[in-house]
Amino acid sequence: MMIDRIAEKVRAGERLSGDEALELYRNAPTALLGRLADAIRARKHADGIVSYIIDRNVNYTNVCVAKCNFCAFYRPVGSPEGYVLGFDELFRKIDETIAVGGVQLLLQGGHNPDLPLTWYEDLFRAIKRRYPSFKLHALSPPEVIHLSRLSQLPVPTIIDRLITAGLDSIPGGGAEILVDRVRRLLHCDGKATADEWLGVMRHAHHAGLRTTATMMYGTVETDQERLEHLLRLRALQDETGGFTAFITWSYQPDHTELGGREATGVEYLRTLAIARLVLDNVDNLQASWVTQGGKVGQLSLAYGANDMGSVMIEENVVRAAGASYCMDEVEIVRNIEDAGFVARRRSMHYEILGDPIFREREVPRMLELATARAAGDTSVPEELLNYPARSRAGKQRRVIPN
Amino acid sequence: MPVSDRELASLAATHDIISVGMLADDVRRRHHGLQTTFVRVADVSADVDAPVSVPAAAGEVRVVGTPASRAAAVERVRQVAATAPGIALSAFSLSDLEELAAREHVPLRAVLEELHAAGLDLVAQAPVDRLRHARRSIEEINISGLVLARLTVDQTSSADPLPFLKSVVELQRAVAVIRAFAPLPRRINAAVPTTGYEDVKRVALARIVVDAVPSIQVDWSLYGPKLAQVALTMGADDVDGVSAEGESTEGRRRAPLEEIRRNIRAAGQEPVERNGRFEVRG
Repeated sequence: MMIDRIAEKVRAGERLSGDEALELYRNAPTALLGRLADAIRARKHADGIVSYIIDRNVNYTNVCVAKCNFCAFYRPVGSPEGYVLGFDELFRKIDETIAVGGVQLLLQGGHNPDLPLTWYEDLFRAIKRRYPSFKLHALSPPEVIHLSRLSQLPVPTIIDRLITAGLDSIPGGGAEILVDRVRRLLHCDGKATADEWLGVMRHAHHAGLRTTATMMYGTVETDQERLEHLLRLRALQDETGGFTAFITWSYQPDHTELGGREATGVEYLRTLAIARLVLDNVDNLQASWVTQGGKVGQLSLAYGANDMGSVMIEENVVRAAGASYCMDEVEIVRNIEDAGFVARRRSMHYEILGDPIFREREVPRMLELATARAAGDTSVPEELLNYPARSRAGKQRRVIPN
Repeated sequence: MPVSDRELASLAATHDIISVGMLADDVRRRHHGLQTTFVRVADVSADVDAPVSVPAAAGEVRVVGTPASRAAAVERVRQVAATAPGIALSAFSLSDLEELAAREHVPLRAVLEELHAAGLDLVAQAPVDRLRHARRSIEEINISGLVLARLTVDQTSSADPLPFLKSVVELQRAVAVIRAFAPLPRRINAAVPTTGYEDVKRVALARIVVDAVPSIQVDWSLYGPKLAQVALTMGADDVDGVSAEGESTEGRRRAPLEEIRRNIRAAGQEPVERNGRFEVRG
């Protein structure tokens, strides 16, 4: 009875309260959640378009001092497995991305104490000099906070300087669950509290950037805390309107300190659907096929998603935790069209760029994801010597041998 | 309420996967309520020289692979039956046994009776699209005192699943012994894999069309937990291929038994473990 009443409210286009959303999330049949979410998707995207972007997800360093216990990607300072990509390596990755029709770099990495703000500024400027129209979707809020602490400059200053250097938008990584009880348990409250994460996004939106928002669920949080996360995003979106999209994915437990189990496929579809119902002010919801696989990724399009995310050329973080699904543009488009939608390429701002690129020109198939670095490559980029290191290990590495 | 041919054609053509799934779920609930059965299977090679190891938790031991000869098939069944007494023993594909009988110029029934005498309980699968004489061969299983574990599909050839599903209906009408039907193809084209929509729609349509077969089955190991779990919400009621290993390298909480129960519950259903003979386990 209660569920029927709440469902009617959704159909009428009314906003859900936290309690109503929780009732649906916990007790509504999965099919009903899907139906309601799909109706909102169809209302917001009446043209039947499902978009995707061709970009490259590059992790410029895996060295990180944050030590989140759910992360299998990071290496501590001084680890022989730690790496920093050089500018030339990044340029080569951009060249490869452009060759397959890519338009942006999703650039994120660990909180490396040996990479000062000037390294990022120089990198962004160099990229923009070489590739003026190529977009930089870079540095999630915890990375911005890390730079703020490292350089002892306020967050708005960091954002302004990065924008000046070439930053185009900020990815919503590092949100996990925006509830500090959860963040403390995940050892990620040190990298950014919930308020700090939202604060970076607020500053970014005020500075004119559009950003995405994310949620990683399935660790230690309750259903209620997932809803609290969504409600906090909705409130900020009411205030700034700066989020272009929301992406949720399940925690990938392999090789992490936290361990445990991954949430199931049905839980993913329910979580995606409830996000579509709660985030009535966010236009775009991405399907996380990278964590769910192509099949459940495609089924996401029936549960509220209107975007297939990125044609991943490279992925390192979730792969380190056990998920290694790969779809190139041909596969993504096949999945979109098989589900009855119209496939279109987009920009980071969700502007439609055109038809699938492989229908316009020959593009090499990608049946395997690239990695940040070839196995066994322990080289240190030469230009790192130009930047002061903060850690003892970093300082030792930068001593030029006679 | 039976679905008309016109309605079926409309369901097969629609992209509204949730509506198809809801209809299939209604049929499933009529047959099984909220119960979802699963079976833990220990696979054993058909090679007579390969070691036989059967975890105590197995509800079914399955001899997989193509036997080299009739004598090798019988010998392998005898070996495995001696190693795992009391556990339901299934083996081989009915299409392979058809070929074997033809190659050795003996009636299929003779092969099946020998296997039964050696300790076999069930023929592991009958790939309906590969059988030479589907109706007769399935009847021979029954006459020989064996049971067919499940009707399977080797490879999907047609984009329109309805004619094929109707042929399964006709087959069951003729033989009346098919206990479970696994409608997703066993052989996957890696270059053009089926999509999630295709898979769950095929499961849902199978449940709606093939009403006379009690169980619609999905394979946990072949299709993966995520897709298989979603299929449980769209018509499937039985999960095959759950590993019989007791522990995962990731610890007890990620052991196959815990995982399958968790996934079934997360799909809103009640897990019930069965053995290979479709008997509920304690």
